[in-house]
Amino acid sequence: MKKIAHLIMLSCRKATELIEKQFVAKLSLKERVQLNLHKSICDACTAYENQSRLLNDLLQKQASITPDQITEQENEALKANLLKQLPLD
Amino acid sequence: MSDKSRIIKEWVNSYSDRMYSWALHRTNNREVAEDLVQDTFIAAIQSFEKFEGKSEPQTWLLGILNNKIAGYYRKQYRNPVISAGSAGSDGENDFLNTFFNSNGEWQLHERPSAWTDDTANLLDDAAFTTELQKCMDRLPSNWLAAVRLKYLEAQKAETICQELGVAPTNYWQMLHRAKLQLRKCLEVHWFKK
Repeated sequence: MKKIAHLIMLSCRKATELIEKQFVAKLSLKERVQLNLHKSICDACTAYENQSRLLNDLLQKQASITPDQITEQENEALKANLLKQLPLD
Repeated sequence: MSDKSRIIKEWVNSYSDRMYSWALHRTNNREVAEDLVQDTFIAAIQSFEKFEGKSEPQTWLLGILNNKIAGYYRKQYRNPVISAGSAGSDGENDFLNTFFNSNGEWQLHERPSAWTDDTANLLDDAAFTTELQKCMDRLPSNWLAAVRLKYLEAQKAETICQELGVAPTNYWQMLHRAKLQLRKCLEVHWFKK
């Protein structure tokens, strides 16, 4: 039975691959059906997908947080260093 | 001092702040940002004659800087620095084998289960953002480049594949591995404490 199931069912490895693929590309109809079927009986991959979506969200929001403020001093040091390094006559 | 040198010097004084802050925002690395700004000015000196004042100097300089940033990511992608504790380039299968058995099923101790923590305000928590950053720093540099371009720069997949010179399939397979590792890292260091 397990073997027959494998013929029509995705493995978890493949399912998680498709979960990631759907975020960057369009899945084919077959892939979508396979993935949904898999998730309907696999709690682990369902949890994985939820967590992966959360990660997407966190990473995207993390991006809008600017790095630490650049200080005046740092900018002055940068300029001084630039003028020293650049081949200006 | 020649006119050219005088103008470049003026540009350094007027625009380097903004260029540096832009480069830092996009690379999240001070040394790299500083190098990229320096490279940009060197390129500007070399092709100064092509500038012709058709656009604002700032626009022209930022254009060069953006090319340098793209080049930086390409290089990161092609010559990955494998950080300690992550999968090596020839350990791709080993890497996946730590998560899945030979039938492609989750390894018993790797099976994801729901995280019970409240995730609504995670990013307001400085301790969490530090862990997230640490987990990202543990990714091999080519995976990190793929993740940064996708999520931190919100670029389209086609653009990223073009920029990195990679086939779409390789690209999302790389994201797959990166996400597996990130997920696990956060689970170990944050969610299941």
